[in-house]
Amino acid sequence: MMPLLAVNWHDLLLRSVVTFNEFVIFYFLALNSVYLLLFIVSLFEVVRFVRRTFFSDYQQILKSEMTWPISILVPAHNEERGIVDTLRSLLQLNYGEFEIVVVNDGSTDATLERLIKAFDLRKTDRIYRRTLDTARVRGIYASLEVPNLTVIDKEKGGKSDALNAGINISRYPLFCSVDADSVIEENALLRVVKPFMEHPEDMVAVGGIVRIINGCEVRDGRVTKIGLPRKALPVFQVVEYLRAFLSGRIGWSVLRSLLIISGAFGLYKKSDVIAVGGYDSHTDTEDLELVVKLHEHLKRQKSRYRIVFVPDPVCWTEAPERFKTLLLQRNRWHRGLLQSFARHWRMLFNPRYGVIGILALPYFLVFEMMGPFVEVLGYASVIAAYFLGILNREFFLLFVLVAILYGVFLSIAAVLLEEISFRRYPGWDDLARLIWYSVWENLGFRQLLALFKVKAFFDFIRRRRRWGDMGHRGFRETAPVPTQIPR
Amino acid sequence: MGSTSELLVQALWGIGGVLAFLFLFIVINKATRELKERRALALRQELEPKILAYVNGKGERLGPQLGHLRGLERAVAEEVLLDNARFLKGTARSRITAACEELGFVQNRVVQLRHRRWWKRAEAAEKLGTMKSPKTAAELIALMRDPVPDVRMRGARALGQLDTRTSIRPLLEALQDPNRWSVLRVAEILAGMGPAAGDELVDAFHVLPLKARIAAVDCLGRAKSVRAPAMLIGLLSDPDRDIRARAAHALGLIGDPNFTPDVLKTLKDDAWPVRAMAAKALGRLGRAEAVGPLAEALGDKEWWVRINAAEALRSMGEKGLAALMDALSSEDRFARHAAVATLEGAGVLDQYVEKLASPDATEQEKALAFIRKIVASERTDSLSQSATRHAQEKVREQLGRILKPGEAKT
Repeated sequence: MMPLLAVNWHDLLLRSVVTFNEFVIFYFLALNSVYLLLFIVSLFEVVRFVRRTFFSDYQQILKSEMTWPISILVPAHNEERGIVDTLRSLLQLNYGEFEIVVVNDGSTDATLERLIKAFDLRKTDRIYRRTLDTARVRGIYASLEVPNLTVIDKEKGGKSDALNAGINISRYPLFCSVDADSVIEENALLRVVKPFMEHPEDMVAVGGIVRIINGCEVRDGRVTKIGLPRKALPVFQVVEYLRAFLSGRIGWSVLRSLLIISGAFGLYKKSDVIAVGGYDSHTDTEDLELVVKLHEHLKRQKSRYRIVFVPDPVCWTEAPERFKTLLLQRNRWHRGLLQSFARHWRMLFNPRYGVIGILALPYFLVFEMMGPFVEVLGYASVIAAYFLGILNREFFLLFVLVAILYGVFLSIAAVLLEEISFRRYPGWDDLARLIWYSVWENLGFRQLLALFKVKAFFDFIRRRRRWGDMGHRGFRETAPVPTQIPR
Repeated sequence: MGSTSELLVQALWGIGGVLAFLFLFIVINKATRELKERRALALRQELEPKILAYVNGKGERLGPQLGHLRGLERAVAEEVLLDNARFLKGTARSRITAACEELGFVQNRVVQLRHRRWWKRAEAAEKLGTMKSPKTAAELIALMRDPVPDVRMRGARALGQLDTRTSIRPLLEALQDPNRWSVLRVAEILAGMGPAAGDELVDAFHVLPLKARIAAVDCLGRAKSVRAPAMLIGLLSDPDRDIRARAAHALGLIGDPNFTPDVLKTLKDDAWPVRAMAAKALGRLGRAEAVGPLAEALGDKEWWVRINAAEALRSMGEKGLAALMDALSSEDRFARHAAVATLEGAGVLDQYVEKLASPDATEQEKALAFIRKIVASERTDSLSQSATRHAQEKVREQLGRILKPGEAKT
């Protein structure tokens, strides 16, 4: 009996490893076909977009009395170092009518005092509609110097709560959420509002591109010279962002399945956001959750709507330069994705939700959520195959080479999209470094991100058990959320 | 496994080949673009002084001064002319148009209007608009039937720039474009064309579809046509609420105080957007007889009407502010709050706070009475701040006494 059992176990293990390896190959083919499809769709769209905007009508949008005014919401928690510069930069935005609403979300540092001093703020008795529930508002401040600036001082409730307070007090039909530590380009509002002007009835939300500010020169809250970071880790993220935005989000947007608009910079129709109850405090990525909620609500209502990504309004943001910070950031993003998925699982494979239910959410389940596990288990199965003596070294090496080369292709393809469209990195040295890092990011960085996601999954499982203890996070550590990363 | 390995080798070669192609494409594309840009810059430095001299009056024709132009030289010369056309007016502007006709740029762009690529047609329309040659009106009018909205839009703008009466009718037809943004843009173009466009719009108004009519109403408010007011007053009783609201707004934009009695009637409209727009318009018209109804509108059940009424009263000067001060004693909580917020914004509250330190006892009494009203309205955030931060101790003391601890509410 014993030898027979031993043979069966060995056989079973062998068969499992072989079957899993076959599954990995199939998975690899399917995943990369999706990436290729997204790239091709994005390529056509980028070319179309560039041709369409080769002479802009932004001056008309700027001058037109019919251009919708915008409320810019800036949630701030302990932002004393940069909040004044951020506001000075926002006040210089090239746009007709806009207001800035800063929400001081229970800061324990001198954020409010700095604002009061810099803009000569006075407490006012401004009246507003409390359409969304928020933590208590302690006071509303206005400036005699800057009539379009309002500061709300409120008890701490987290970023979502701060944004909801901003929505309550904002006056205009569109609002733009902006992170307090990001820099918005001068013409970004003109560019991001254009889809609303073209489709005023259907447009619900528009996202702009987020680029990495590390390595750029910033003066008076403006990016004066664009450059790549010196350190390797942020350059990897530059390549990753290019791929995620230019090759990922553009593709999803064309397929009408955009599930994420970065919290760092997005423009929304206020009435629709209020209709879904505003931002949600129960997930770690309020921006992703809001967009998914909007899709769910509008699909249920059978409304005609559009949620799109536009690749030329730029928001600059800082990328982590240390592995530990990157781990924290990615952990939060992936947890947020899992939380939103858990809240909206009914949309999965549900034809009622159109392309979102049939394509986008299944993609997230199969590739974004399972992908890291398949990748990590794939490495483990190779090791197992080696010890079981069934590893075909030639095949393995060829497969690894193909996988790496294909990853390099996707990254270089994103660089190509950048080069034929926006060309924000004009120097030859920048181009050379982008190409160089497009190769290198496939040899370690990508694998590291997969491990981060696996860890985030277990953190998500643990946190679900003590859901009530999640608490609220601050803003400094929050960053834009480039999910739908085509990896 | 052998065949799979062969397949992988082939995939490796395939991806490697594509990668090499991408790499070469990126490098060659960048290099050729930069070379072209450098050459264009050099040409610009060479041609621009001659072109500017011509624009400023040197010689009758530009052609002989530039000599025979080829390829990139022609593109650069056209670019320089168009760059200057965008901000020049008068004779200099006319000379640019003449130069574009003389050098064949107008003709080339007219030919380009028939290009099979839509963006080429759009580019041609855009540039013809800047060239402003009246000879192109017929071609641009024909472009308004282009199947691509972007092209039609560029055509409409170009027609607007030509500023000829023949452009108006096709632009009116363009108001029926299904694209809402296009409609709004066309309406703005028409408004920019002045009274002649306004008169044509009055004639065509009733045959336009609803969305176009809404845009046209805005247009009538800005086109300064003498026939517009009578029509807009009639539209105040249109069955469509958006038309009524836009008509009230347009009458406010024209700004003749004699419209007040008609607009006042719409302050009682069943639809709140109409009431909100009427309140806004009455503020612009600024007649005293609107003060009472606007003060009443401070207690409207709709937030936007209250806000617009308060802002309108604020914009009406002393009489409006007096009505807001009266509203501080209103039984309606919303009216009181709107009045406090508006008076604060107008700086009235600050003026009275300053008067607390006045040596004149009557002034002080008046200030105290006003501030007590504010306190009674239960909106005291601003006063509370003055009570702790005002520069004069006397003012801080007086405010402290009036507010009392725990009295301030938000």
